[in-house]
Amino acid sequence: MTKPNHHIFADGELSRNESTLRIDTLDGETKYLPVESVDSLYLHGQIDFNTRALGLLNDHGVPVHVFGWKDYYKGSYLPKRGQVSGNTVVEQVRAYDDKRRLRIAHQVIEASIHNMRANIRYYSSRKGDFSTTLDKLSELKERVTSTETIDNLRAVEGNARKQYYRCFDTILREPFALERREYNPPSNEANALVSFLNGMVYTTCVSAIRKTALDPTVGFVHEPGERRFTLSLDIADIFKPILADRLVFRLVNRQQITVDDFESDLDGCLLTEDGRLTVLQEYEETLDRTIEHPRLNRKVSFKTLVQTDVYSLKKHLLTGEPYQATERWW
Amino acid sequence: MSTGDRIDEYTQEEREIGTRPATPVTGLMVQYYHVCERELWFMSRGIDIDRETTNIQRGTHVDETSYQDSRRSFMIGNRIQLDLLDSGAVMEIKVSSTLEKPARMQLLFYLWFLKYVYDIEKDGVLAYPTERKRESVRLDERATAEVERTIIGILDLVAEETPPELSKKPYCDSCLYQDLCWM
Repeated sequence: MTKPNHHIFADGELSRNESTLRIDTLDGETKYLPVESVDSLYLHGQIDFNTRALGLLNDHGVPVHVFGWKDYYKGSYLPKRGQVSGNTVVEQVRAYDDKRRLRIAHQVIEASIHNMRANIRYYSSRKGDFSTTLDKLSELKERVTSTETIDNLRAVEGNARKQYYRCFDTILREPFALERREYNPPSNEANALVSFLNGMVYTTCVSAIRKTALDPTVGFVHEPGERRFTLSLDIADIFKPILADRLVFRLVNRQQITVDDFESDLDGCLLTEDGRLTVLQEYEETLDRTIEHPRLNRKVSFKTLVQTDVYSLKKHLLTGEPYQATERWW
Repeated sequence: MSTGDRIDEYTQEEREIGTRPATPVTGLMVQYYHVCERELWFMSRGIDIDRETTNIQRGTHVDETSYQDSRRSFMIGNRIQLDLLDSGAVMEIKVSSTLEKPARMQLLFYLWFLKYVYDIEKDGVLAYPTERKRESVRLDERATAEVERTIIGILDLVAEETPPELSKKPYCDSCLYQDLCWM
């Protein structure tokens, strides 16, 4: 049901050719990309494009995510809203302002902690004894319900994430170590990998939210004052353990990614172009991986799970039926 | 207010130039009402889903490519879109006859609309080109009553604050709204 994302790494030009996309790379290659078969387009190289190309992408509702130097996320060109619904936005903002906000935030943080815990449980006994962390995470998840302010809730979440990241050094094959979660810029290879993938999860959520009439800037856990799409940050928190962290462990432990795939300069550490290619390929495969969904009675991809999570939130806002943030059940 | 009064009032609002009923009923709404009331409620709130699925594309394709020579599309009141055959009959095209009743009600609604809003009497043809099947549809007394019950039903349903409760139907698995409904 879901279409694949497409990544362009080369430098060159993106243009419209009749009713399809054409990519001319600087090394003289021409490729055609059927626009109807693309979910989201990712530009990693230096790409020239014009309004005709954007118009075509717009017609097919394809968002474009642009990355700049060293693959820092620059921003997104989002197609004109196919979904416009005033009452969705009105209800979203109302929910932010009334008691629904705390309940939605509870759901998000509970699911986020649940999914972190599921990762640790998977590696417990395989990689070490994580029973203390597992207990601590359960306890924090239970504390969520009785936490009555968003600030305190964020503290609980931060605490959980700290406990969680502490296990990374044991799970990751040497010489990878997270030590401390650091970004802007990431200080070592493990941080660089986590940051890069978290960025990808964020764009995946941006695309999913765009398919609904929800406003991406009004989040429930994160304050809307931030410069980024705070609703995407909320949803991304749920899916980071599922889509990013598990992949970090796999890539490192199977040695698909080694320290040679990173370069350190100035005061940061980032993936090389080859490294990014490997990581993105695996990330896309993760998005396409499917599992049997108990309520939908069919197999759904991880990418669809992000979409259904957003649908569930939207439905909650408009109908009052409960929002069920995605908790790993498989 | 009795059902008859409400229908009279509705028809009057449709007839008068420059006015519009508070809830303008469309053919699609009539169809949804007989398929799934929950779907209709979602649609009435602008809760829409991805319409680029293969099923929708197939339906659009069959509709756009069938009997092109002998029919013309009309838009009435900026809202009701229907196809007229050369013979003068109103035609409704569907990919399959599995949801026969909703399709027939949609067509009957068009016939009702033409007759009671515009004083134009027409017969209808329900066509399933992929099944090479056609049936004629007439707006008799029974059908008129059923269309009017449907209109009232739609007005009442759309006025509800919350959607009708979830209930599993045989075609839920192929419904566009399943990801919204069951999540």
